[in-house]
Amino acid sequence: MPSITFSFDDLCLLVGKRLSEAELTHLLDYAKAELDSKFGSEITVKYNDTNQPYLWCVEGLARLLKGVLGRQKGLAKITLKKSAAKIIVDKRVRKLRPYIAGFIAKGVKLDDYLLKQLVQMQEKLSSNFGRKRAKISIGTYPLNALEFPVHYKLADPLEKFIPLSFHHSVSLREVLDKHEKGKEFGHLLKAESGYPVLVDAKKDILSLIPIINSEQSGRLVVGDDSFFFEVTGTDERAVNLVANSAAFACFERGFELHSLVVEYPERKIVTPTLTTTRMKFKEVEVEKLLGIKLKAGQLKSLLEGLRYGYANGTAVIPSYRHDVMHAVDIVEDAAIMYGYGNFEAAPLTSFTVGNIKPMQRMIDTFRELWVGAGYQEVLSPVLINKELLYGKMHVPDKGTVELENFVSMTYSCVRSWVLPILLEILSKNKHVEYPQKIFEQGVVTLRAPDLHDEEHIAGVSAHSLATFTEGKQVVQSILQSVGALVEFEEFELGCFIPGRAANVLVNGTHIGFLGEIHPQVLDEFGLSTPVVATELNLSKLHEIIKK
Amino acid sequence: MDVKKLGASLHQYERRVLPELAHALSVKELVAKTGLKEVEVVRALQWLENKKAIVVSTKPQEWVFLEKNGEEYAENGLPERRFLTVLQEKPLPVGKLAEKTGLNREEVNICLGLLRQRGFILLLKEKELSAKITDSGRKSLQGPFSEELLLQKKFPVELAGLSAAERKVVDELRKRKSMVRVDTQVIKRAELTEVGKKLLEAGVRDDNIIDALTPQILVSGQWKNKSFRRFDVTSPVPNVSFGKKQPYRAFLDQVRQKFVALGFQEMDGPVVETEFWNMDALFMPQFHSARDIHDAYYIKEPKAGKLDESIIKRVKSAHETGGDTGSTGWQYVFDVERAKKHVLRSQDTAISPRTLASKDLKIPGKYFQMVRCFRHDVIDATHLPDFNQVGGFVIEEQMTFRHLTGLLKMFAQEFAQTKEIKLVPGYFPFTEPSVELYAKHPQLGWIELGGAGMFRPELVKPLVGRHVQVCAWGLGVDRLGMFNLGLKDIRSLFSSDIDFLRKSRVM
Repeated sequence: MPSITFSFDDLCLLVGKRLSEAELTHLLDYAKAELDSKFGSEITVKYNDTNQPYLWCVEGLARLLKGVLGRQKGLAKITLKKSAAKIIVDKRVRKLRPYIAGFIAKGVKLDDYLLKQLVQMQEKLSSNFGRKRAKISIGTYPLNALEFPVHYKLADPLEKFIPLSFHHSVSLREVLDKHEKGKEFGHLLKAESGYPVLVDAKKDILSLIPIINSEQSGRLVVGDDSFFFEVTGTDERAVNLVANSAAFACFERGFELHSLVVEYPERKIVTPTLTTTRMKFKEVEVEKLLGIKLKAGQLKSLLEGLRYGYANGTAVIPSYRHDVMHAVDIVEDAAIMYGYGNFEAAPLTSFTVGNIKPMQRMIDTFRELWVGAGYQEVLSPVLINKELLYGKMHVPDKGTVELENFVSMTYSCVRSWVLPILLEILSKNKHVEYPQKIFEQGVVTLRAPDLHDEEHIAGVSAHSLATFTEGKQVVQSILQSVGALVEFEEFELGCFIPGRAANVLVNGTHIGFLGEIHPQVLDEFGLSTPVVATELNLSKLHEIIKK
Repeated sequence: MDVKKLGASLHQYERRVLPELAHALSVKELVAKTGLKEVEVVRALQWLENKKAIVVSTKPQEWVFLEKNGEEYAENGLPERRFLTVLQEKPLPVGKLAEKTGLNREEVNICLGLLRQRGFILLLKEKELSAKITDSGRKSLQGPFSEELLLQKKFPVELAGLSAAERKVVDELRKRKSMVRVDTQVIKRAELTEVGKKLLEAGVRDDNIIDALTPQILVSGQWKNKSFRRFDVTSPVPNVSFGKKQPYRAFLDQVRQKFVALGFQEMDGPVVETEFWNMDALFMPQFHSARDIHDAYYIKEPKAGKLDESIIKRVKSAHETGGDTGSTGWQYVFDVERAKKHVLRSQDTAISPRTLASKDLKIPGKYFQMVRCFRHDVIDATHLPDFNQVGGFVIEEQMTFRHLTGLLKMFAQEFAQTKEIKLVPGYFPFTEPSVELYAKHPQLGWIELGGAGMFRPELVKPLVGRHVQVCAWGLGVDRLGMFNLGLKDIRSLFSSDIDFLRKSRVM
């Protein structure tokens, strides 16, 4: 979730109205945002919608709020002066990072706050919307340090320049190894044949794209009043969206905007494109989805409040928004402007039959039977580790689903059986009064013979007189209670004492096992009380009983 | 209390102890008098005290206890009396004293020292060393020794209750081996109260009261002529540990029941999902931030699953261009191989598209799921390795956002016992409009209950084959469970503390 920090006073100034904190909190709902923190005049706002990057600067937020408050509705205005300055794109960047857009902003002296805001916007857009610079990245350059045309091309990895915060020149390849940003983003440059760079008419390297600007021509400082803004990326729509968003923000800040010509090998475009899109959109769409009838002119007013243009059944979507993919997106905006709280709730009228999932009745029956047998139910995470499942149990792994990117070794696989988890619980409760009888019902996952889930139930009884016979009595009585024809046969498993473990069969099919836990396993868990344990596969039993 | 009722409620131990308490007695004395075991006397005293029939004093005091030799001499007489008695006839050589007196060598030595010191005997050196009784020795035999008088007392004896002379005797005896010992001990002494005296006056019947009703009493019909001892039904008893459902699981059972009662059909799905069902089918673009390696768990083997190619094709086209859904789509190249990759189910909503694509889908229909989900997170008081989510959808022609509002109101009422809700614009890649649901909990104020929205046409049409309105919603059931069970730490929902579970409430 992106968040931005700015001055509350600045926001009020941009909106043109002194807002209270309560008003702001309410207004932020319209931006799907919330107030994260407030220190004096400095506030931080968190956005829940990741698809509206135009809001990730205070100017964008102010633009929306002006509409909501009715201070300035409809499409936002912008003036763009045509300029002949060019960015020439070499065809060799096509494979790596083909698109670029930009503009020149002039005439507002950057103070400390404005510079910080500009850097913040750049950061948020390129790290979050830009997928950590993979999809788009942004550069800004003091205008007086460079000369157009600027070339966007590949450079030899051995070419040299001074990256930001360095005092001497290094080769492009060295930047990747030595510069902090090179280490962070170097993986984005796989092509060894050449690295993407911006080079100006003086042949100075302005920037190694998308890693780092040049110290000489790529550092904006307080006091600068004009700059070149560029955005490169792999997705042309995203590149243009970011250029458009930034252009609007700079214009609203008072900068004079000048366009740039981007000359691709096969075509030329003017950026920022500022291209709006049109979508046919009538009241009926609203009625169908929202269930409200709008009065004449009401739809227009609602949409203009959220800074759409609207006329004669066509909505005009601002150039800084690409999140409007379908009429339903416009409907939602209309609904937001209408106010979610103003909808009159309607009851559902259709009749439907409720039911639990097919196995649930059996699951609940077994849980009740186990409770009836005096066992306390427990509930555990299903993420666990192999050391507990097999190592401590002296049992081989027969196909466990292991996590590729686990956070901690303790939770590095999905449980394939439940018993070890119950022994672990016993080991944490040695100070608690015995007898201890606990059971757990839940899902286990195996990847052999094929990937599948099973519903299991497992129980352990720990006390000084716990024996196989006691466990067998419980299993037998419970299974007979559900009408199963139960049999037992000899069984060996590392966790049980040989000769004191049995397979449980129903209608001749193996559905589980039980036994006295072997002292060497009790030792592993630090237990000094005999334990008899059982685990049954309810999914298997369900199949048998269905037949 | 009614003395008669109280009398009828006396346990047999109490009935045996009470009559002995005409005078204050210690536990030991009571054991001797009643023939009960010490533990039985102690319990009787406890019960009688609860009934306010006695007071039990438990002051720490210095007590004189008889030891092994002391007990023997109290019973069989002191060795020095036997010693003197034998010498009364004639002086005897020291070497023969043991044989003649029947005392052991140690006792003989003690007697020699002690009686010489008191001037009761003389040692004469003639042919051999002999002992001879003196006149005062003879005289002393006519009356009791001060030691003998002391030994006749009922032990233990309270030191403070002895005279100065007696205390001196105690000091003497303490010097001798295993005679007496003085200890500070908490001695329980019971004394009747006014209630106790009345009880005793009323008479404590013993024969005609039945304590425990046994099969034998029933078979023989003995009960017919007897009365039953009344029990003090208010006296505390310890808990028993019986089987109980896990409190959070029991809460989830209630939630499930509630959904069924509201006409919802339960859905289920696998723990290991393909990215397709977990995300793609929900119209979450493959570049969406929630699909980062840092947000979902991927598995080692098997890395990918199989999918129905025709459904993939429709979903792919909705993602790329919108297909026939009237959408522009996300406008990127959809990677089919990526869609087949396995992840641990990261959201309960993953189950909904399976149902929407199923031939068993009923329209109108109401569906819910209640499943374990997994998100790549650090584990702390607010994050568990896995968590539960409840969600679902309602599919119905002609349904609108107003119905969704109604549905959410109903949920707030059913699950947070409130009619007051707040709907705030929200964002989910699969719904439009999207809302976040807050409910005013009677005790806790505004709480976030969950999220909801209308499934996007780009999601519904590729799965169902045409567009139908679908309201989807999800509730943070773990949080609801915490509110419901009064828990502060989310990890308590999965507590492995047996004591906590035994004591926990299940409603």
